[in-house]
Amino acid sequence: MSFLVIQGLHKRYGATPVFSDIDCTLEQGEFVTLLGPSGCGKSTLLRCVAGLTEVDGGTIRLDGQDLLPLPPQKRGIGMVFQSYALFPNMTVAQNVAFGLRMQRVPRAESARRVAEVLALVELEALADRYPQQLSGGQSQRVALARSLVTRPRLLLLDEPLSALDARIRKHLREEIRRIQRELGLTTLFVTHDQEEALTLSDRILLMDAGRIVQSGSAEALYTEPASAFAAGFIGHYNLLDAEAAGRLLGRSMSRRVAIRPEAIRLGSGDLSGLIRSHSLLGNVIRYHVESRGVELYVDVLNRSAGDLLPSGRSVALEIAPEAVRELEG
Amino acid sequence: MTAPARRAPPWSAPRRGRWLAALCLLPFALVFFAFQIAPLLWVAVNSLQTADGWSLANFTRILESRFYRQAISHSLQVSFWSSLFGLLIALLGSYSLHRVDSRLRDFVNAFATMTSNFAGVPLAFAFIILLGFNGALTLLLRQIGWIEDFNLYSKTGLIVIYTYFQIPLGVLLLYPAFDALREDWRESAALLGASTWRYWCHIGLPVLTPALVGTFVILLANALGAYATVYALTTGNFNIVPIRIAALVAGDINLDPWLASALAMLLVGLMALITLVHQWLLRRSYHAAR
Amino acid sequence: MRRAEQGPVLLYHRLVVWLLFLILLLPLAGTLLYSLATSWSATVLPSGLTLKWYLALWSDARFLSAFGHSLLVCFGALLLSVLLILPLLFVVHYHFPRLDGLMNVLILLPFAIPPVVSSVGLLQVYGSGPLPLIGTPWILIGCYFTVALPFMYRAISNNLLALNLRDLMDAARVHGASTWQAAFWVVLPNLRKGVMVALFLSFSFLLGEFVFANLLVGTRYETLQVYLNNMRNSSGHFNSALVISYFFFVLLFTWAANRLNKDLP
Repeated sequence: MSFLVIQGLHKRYGATPVFSDIDCTLEQGEFVTLLGPSGCGKSTLLRCVAGLTEVDGGTIRLDGQDLLPLPPQKRGIGMVFQSYALFPNMTVAQNVAFGLRMQRVPRAESARRVAEVLALVELEALADRYPQQLSGGQSQRVALARSLVTRPRLLLLDEPLSALDARIRKHLREEIRRIQRELGLTTLFVTHDQEEALTLSDRILLMDAGRIVQSGSAEALYTEPASAFAAGFIGHYNLLDAEAAGRLLGRSMSRRVAIRPEAIRLGSGDLSGLIRSHSLLGNVIRYHVESRGVELYVDVLNRSAGDLLPSGRSVALEIAPEAVRELEG
Repeated sequence: MTAPARRAPPWSAPRRGRWLAALCLLPFALVFFAFQIAPLLWVAVNSLQTADGWSLANFTRILESRFYRQAISHSLQVSFWSSLFGLLIALLGSYSLHRVDSRLRDFVNAFATMTSNFAGVPLAFAFIILLGFNGALTLLLRQIGWIEDFNLYSKTGLIVIYTYFQIPLGVLLLYPAFDALREDWRESAALLGASTWRYWCHIGLPVLTPALVGTFVILLANALGAYATVYALTTGNFNIVPIRIAALVAGDINLDPWLASALAMLLVGLMALITLVHQWLLRRSYHAAR
Repeated sequence: MRRAEQGPVLLYHRLVVWLLFLILLLPLAGTLLYSLATSWSATVLPSGLTLKWYLALWSDARFLSAFGHSLLVCFGALLLSVLLILPLLFVVHYHFPRLDGLMNVLILLPFAIPPVVSSVGLLQVYGSGPLPLIGTPWILIGCYFTVALPFMYRAISNNLLALNLRDLMDAARVHGASTWQAAFWVVLPNLRKGVMVALFLSFSFLLGEFVFANLLVGTRYETLQVYLNNMRNSSGHFNSALVISYFFFVLLFTWAANRLNKDLP
């Protein structure tokens, strides 16, 4: 049996369902991401696991134990919030020690464990600072340390990186993954950022409008989106309706089709197209190409400035058959 | 393609312990009812009572009496003029406060906060010393020849003393309003060719208007209900509404709590009317369009 | 709107601010001078200076007892308001956020209804019957609670709003605290300074309350303001010393509140 098992979970606010029929499992030590647009119910789902929000139906079992009757303080779960939620009246060390104080852990042991986790997040030097003296990245590492110190059975991360700027976000992301691996922590991570989800996770649960629409590894989700929603949310897929896809590929299609922009080759092949415009995305150039009356985005690695194809140029292109993905629904 | 953006679900507190939480409201509700709602209800109900039962007789008695009409008129005059003068002085003062160095500003602001507590009996005593018949300032001004005579215990005197306690309150209320005036508006108006005068006519004052009207209303209400200052100054001999109300319930003769209630309700009604006019003005201004 | 001016414009603004200061200062300064004067009548300046009025005042038993009464009533009222308002605010913000709208209307009442009006009702409701509170300090404690309520509620409420109460409570609960523990260990310590500031400021204006004290209790439990009023026929110098002593305490408490406020994060 899996470590965390969620079955048939329902939640509604008044008449609006927040999510329904949520079924998912987490193995011990697994890092799983709940990915979805804002308002899809992923944060509420996380809060239900933590016990901060009540559910209307279904079960949540952790290590075989039914969690639903337990208040949050009895669940043995750690959680990190988007807003850090550090207690402003306590120093970094006191914040981290809070969970131990609530468990009445003896002072000496508490001090030792606090020092341990502060070392883990590399914040030993700031133990006596107050939260308002910390940067965003430091604050979030304190929050992480605070949730780790009680050795939770499950770690919940609610968009922990969203309030940080890009550079810090990348660094902290790697740090979180390192610590999670080191401690073998089962982790459920919520984000709306596909890049974060793809780089961090063992497995991704894609959510839309209160349902889990696809579940799988980062590679599977990226290369094999099951629906138009998945294809639209992850990567920059070209989404074509059946008629346009048939025209482009020269065979009749019955379903919508998604084609990854980097799976189209420019310069050779039996299709001909016209470069409309391009935009530079750093290491990648994204061309806007028209072929057989269909508009496509094509990503090409930016090798040298001389390779740039000007607008108006005719060009040959080739679409690998395995890159063409027919979608359900 | 993505789900229609829905509003984040409302946050909700744990349902456990909701009843206990509701219980925490009870002591407050009891005390608030006992000392605020109950007396008000008593006044409202008894303003409609006479020895013969329910009627509007208390109100007609007040409105037919020259004595009570004079009290109302005095109340309105003193309140209106003191609020107006207080507002003008506070306006000039808080604008200049925004334009001087921070040390002077902080000091005078703190001083204004303190003097906003200087009202009532102590203020009346201070004014008697300064501006009474033999007050130092009265003597000084008479020696210079600026005044012939000054009667602190008259309507003019009351307007002066009321204005004094309106000023700090006005500064406290108006000072933050100037934060809404952004420096770059003034600069861009100047670049577009507006003189200082035209800047104030077209931008400064219209932006400040709701704050000015709001402050004026609060000052007016403050003055209408004021009792301590005038009582201590004239030992209750100047005829204004709060003095009349108090005399009807705590005087030595002519106790009539029903008439007092009616007079009190008139005062409350007057304040409600002012508030309504204020709301109406506020809704008509461009600020409501936001 | 924060730019110090230069040249004649600055001079004008300085002049206005100093004038404002002088207007506000004048009655106080006059009273101070009067309280220190040996005698001062029919002249612009006093004839000599002395501390005898203060000595007389601070050795007057009736004054000391009035002062004690005032302190007791104010402390009582403030204690009551902290005990009632803190749980109220916590419950409103955490459990019933929709009540905040209603509360904001309710707390306007003490502000909108002049004490004279309330007194009419209070005198009748508590004059006799099951709760004869008129003439006792208890009625003043209740009334002063309502007087301080709008200010205390708004001040503490703003403090709570700045605190991000919900996330803090969630974090505390996830990390092992019950609701009560979270309120006690996390929320309360963060409100301490804000509450102290509100208490100091409330105290300084409650000390000056006269209407309720005079109409509901009078000489039966004489407070500072009522005593001051009753002494109107004694020496003006003595009264001035009284006014200045009273204002000294107002000053002390406002100053303390200001200092605390500046330290507030």
